[in-house]
Amino acid sequence: MNNQENFTEKDSLRLITEMINKTKQSFHDTGFGPIMWGSVIIICALTSFFSLQYNFKLPFNIWLLTIVAIIPQILYSIAEGKRKKAKTYNDIAMDYTWIGFGICIFILSFGINILASDMRNGITDYLKNRSDFRFGDYTTSFYLMLYGIPTFITGGIMKFKPMLFGGILCWALSFVSNYTNLKIDMLLTALAGLFAWLIPGIIIYIRCKKNKSMHV
Amino acid sequence: MFKELDPILHSQLRLAVMSILIGVKEAEFTFIREKTGSTAGNLSVQIQKLKEAGYIDVVKKFKDNYPQTLCNITASGIKAFESYVKNIQTYLQQ
Repeated sequence: MNNQENFTEKDSLRLITEMINKTKQSFHDTGFGPIMWGSVIIICALTSFFSLQYNFKLPFNIWLLTIVAIIPQILYSIAEGKRKKAKTYNDIAMDYTWIGFGICIFILSFGINILASDMRNGITDYLKNRSDFRFGDYTTSFYLMLYGIPTFITGGIMKFKPMLFGGILCWALSFVSNYTNLKIDMLLTALAGLFAWLIPGIIIYIRCKKNKSMHV
Repeated sequence: MFKELDPILHSQLRLAVMSILIGVKEAEFTFIREKTGSTAGNLSVQIQKLKEAGYIDVVKKFKDNYPQTLCNITASGIKAFESYVKNIQTYLQQ
């Protein structure tokens, strides 16, 4: 492109549109985050489901896998940050949304563990008479509700319907989980992981591959 | 009555740079060069002109031991770009 100054108003408008489109087309999410987190949540939820169904216990809490998964996510984010030559406002909005979500999940898990531990220590007389009481029966809806927030926002920002509907589904499942036991809650969580993250992530990955092959 | 088009923006390469920067928070010099297909020398000169007009900010840093130039549009740059677009639309409506 040269620095021609005698171009017409039509040329100006065409140039602006062309540049805005070129810039937009430069950003392709790879789907790494949703695919990884969707898979992790599905693995954790299904393992919990099967351990409740067949009465076996793993030597460790399978949900610790979600903490381990933070490492590849951080490494990927650093690599992405180095690779990206421009930062969009959407990137920033989504970064803050997902970091906020991570912090909320941590606070919720922390609070729930303290509450569960207090209850186990028998502070509530009501619980002493209920041997079938399982604290987890009542907590899944909070997690599913939280899963829905960043998923819905991301779907809206990216104008990506699978994630938008995934977020809405999380909220619907959150509502349903109030009436189901922990075992079914785990199936609902796996469903949330599948429809809110894994499937949208795979769609993003396929789109990214297609776009890359078009520009090679 | 037609308003005169901003001479800083009514230039192909400078307008292209502004059109890129309007959609992003910040962009590396190499990104802008890639998208505009211009030469590094010419782009440097035009970026400097935009900077002098107060339309963009230029920050020079180091990334992995390599120099990195980051550009972002300023508030007055956004205002100028918007009024430029409005003015060319007025021209085209006539």
